[in-house]
Amino acid sequence: MYMTPMMLSSSLVLTLNILLYPLLTALDPTPKKPQWASTHVKTAVSTAFFISLIPLMMFLDQGTESIMINWHWMNTSTFDINISFKFDHYSLIFTPIALFVSWSILEFASWYMHSDPYMNRFFKYLLLFLVAMIVLVTANNMFQLFIGWEGVGIMSFLLIGWWYGRSDANTAALQAVLYNRVGDIGLILSMAWMATNMNSWEIQQIFFLSKDFNMTLPLLGLILAATGKSAQFGLHPWLPSAMEGPTPVSALLHSSTMVVAGIFLLIRLHPLMENNQLALTTCLCLGALTTLFTATCALTQNDIKKIVAFSTSSQLGLMMVTIGLNQPQLAFLHICTHAFFKAMLFLCSGSIIHSLNDEQDIRKMGGLHKLMPFTSSCLTIGSLALTGTPFLAGFFSKDAIIEALNTSHLNAWALALTLIATSFTAVYSFRVVFFVTMGTPRFLPLSPINENNPAVINPIKRLAWGSIIAGLIITSNFLPLKSPVMTMPFMLKLAALFVSIIGLLSAMELAAMTSKQFKTTPTLPLHNFSNMLGFFPSTIHRLMPKLNLTLGQLMATQLLDQSWLEKSGPKGIASMQIKMSTHASDPQQGMIKTYLTIFLLTSTLAILLMLL
Amino acid sequence: MRLSRALTTNTEGREGASRVAPLLSSGVSKGSLPGPYPQTPEERAAAAKKYNLRLEDYQPYPDDGKGYGDYPMLPNRSQQERDPWYSWDHPDLRRNWGESMHWDFDMYTRNRVDTSPSPVDWSTMSKTLLGYLGFMLLMFGLGEVFPMYQPVMPKQYPYNDLYLERGGDPEKQPKPVKHYEI
Repeated sequence: MYMTPMMLSSSLVLTLNILLYPLLTALDPTPKKPQWASTHVKTAVSTAFFISLIPLMMFLDQGTESIMINWHWMNTSTFDINISFKFDHYSLIFTPIALFVSWSILEFASWYMHSDPYMNRFFKYLLLFLVAMIVLVTANNMFQLFIGWEGVGIMSFLLIGWWYGRSDANTAALQAVLYNRVGDIGLILSMAWMATNMNSWEIQQIFFLSKDFNMTLPLLGLILAATGKSAQFGLHPWLPSAMEGPTPVSALLHSSTMVVAGIFLLIRLHPLMENNQLALTTCLCLGALTTLFTATCALTQNDIKKIVAFSTSSQLGLMMVTIGLNQPQLAFLHICTHAFFKAMLFLCSGSIIHSLNDEQDIRKMGGLHKLMPFTSSCLTIGSLALTGTPFLAGFFSKDAIIEALNTSHLNAWALALTLIATSFTAVYSFRVVFFVTMGTPRFLPLSPINENNPAVINPIKRLAWGSIIAGLIITSNFLPLKSPVMTMPFMLKLAALFVSIIGLLSAMELAAMTSKQFKTTPTLPLHNFSNMLGFFPSTIHRLMPKLNLTLGQLMATQLLDQSWLEKSGPKGIASMQIKMSTHASDPQQGMIKTYLTIFLLTSTLAILLMLL
Repeated sequence: MRLSRALTTNTEGREGASRVAPLLSSGVSKGSLPGPYPQTPEERAAAAKKYNLRLEDYQPYPDDGKGYGDYPMLPNRSQQERDPWYSWDHPDLRRNWGESMHWDFDMYTRNRVDTSPSPVDWSTMSKTLLGYLGFMLLMFGLGEVFPMYQPVMPKQYPYNDLYLERGGDPEKQPKPVKHYEI
């Protein structure tokens, strides 16, 4: 019998079922013990992680991939919707990584949220999010992907607004939902196009039939969907606002898993985009703009979580650039390595925040290198991995992307923006490390600094290991599907390293100036631009809702009644008549004698002409 | 008899009629709903009292047929601008009980439009953002016209540019093809 496909499918279905079991038992109305979150949910995720390693090993050894059609859900005579899972290269690698990161985050959350009265509900929400994410990643048809897509969006709303008594958290959750909804327009457009033109939502059939069609419209729809979900420029403000949620939420959703869903969609459906130059250029330019814009915004932020959120957004822009380069596998590699160090950066931030009694402003931190050595070391490791330090995790993906950028035939401005953004990455990473770990403390002496809890240390330790070796492991074991360019000039090969070092040196120079007082507050317009996030939220969030809401209010209360009851009937006719009569009566000056004379003259002329 | 008289609603023209509404325990009384535009000073004073405003603060919308009636025109300020540290009756809404609501109060809640002053004024903000976007679009357009690429040559294959392997005639002498220069 064919053992390998059977083992593959069984272990993957088992993984999903292990994750679903706590959710189903949570439907039981009897209240759960306070340790339910740790004993049931965390154990389920760690068990699911270890079981999901089996298919990964099988894929490494024999290269097995599988497509399982489990249930013919809604089948008409013309259209089929099934529950089908695709376990290919992408989902087989992503699932264990997502489970590993989630396991670490759940363990951390059991410490971070231990004083929360609804911790069980929190863990239930996180687990539901994880299930939705895995459904999205393993989907073999657009409908199932849409289920996962909406699921992660809803859970993002519930988790960002976890502290719903805080009005800013509610606003941030609403922002997330609304911006994602705009992106969903694109996804639904693509799905509708595929349903009407290709009569299928199964990915294999879409790939097969795409050769006969001009795919520009659905591809632009998919790019819009990725813009919404992955916070590209234009639909990006929800991601920094999402930092209103608890730190485990930021670590899981808004750094490693949910925000990469948009990029993952484009990776999954990449064969449709390979030959469409417009879609590729759009991805390239949008990604380059995003990465530079958000890196600029990150330079002057003072909230540690916001800086990390903007760096996430910048890396998402970089992934979009990679897709625009026709390198989906490199984008996927960056997703995997990024998950490790970004989640670790968030967990370190959470540890620092709780230790300083919920202080999030980096101007009020400092000197933590001696006080929290483990956390600050891991913060440094994570920052180094983020900037692409050679042979840490980020290097393998980021350097490969920049090499591919340098050696491609592409938009020169996109290349310039990406390189500048890479140097900015080094700048704001150094800024975080400088303000948080170096110097002297700027907080109150009696802060509850405590690193001795294994629930904090073990997750960060695991993710630190991942940040160091994940890149090496993944690249050593999986062959690239597209051969990279092997020969390039020396300067291009080291371009990423050079710009990062330049960024680091300029950041160190600027940091050395902080102890010398030049001005009390910066008054440069560039600082304002960067600190107010490019003025984007301050303008768009005031203008667009005001326009739409006043239009809605005006239409509902005044315009409809006025137009149908007044303007289309009595008042409208009256105003038209008045206009016409004023126009017509203007020439009427009342000069009767002149009119009579002209009348007689013209009538005489007419009679003479008739007689002649 | 007294009950039926109390339940009748038509009291116009009756002398000494002091109640203008049926004796019900629910619903708003007729005098507390918004009414037509106040023409006389007495109507203005009554409207100001109805809306819990002082006579000096009460300013109705102009009477141009838009249907506002005597509803007060309150300043267009969002709830976010109100003092967060004052002990409001409803702290989350930053509003006291009985305060007259803005016509667009649902737009000015703390989750929606914010009119609080920004460090940079509106015109500078919009000009900077639009200028930045325009500059980026222009440069992207220029980047499309002048792309960046590594200069490459056609590949130089051995054996006379693979003449025989490409189905060349073995009897004929192939033309030399050279893509490089030394």
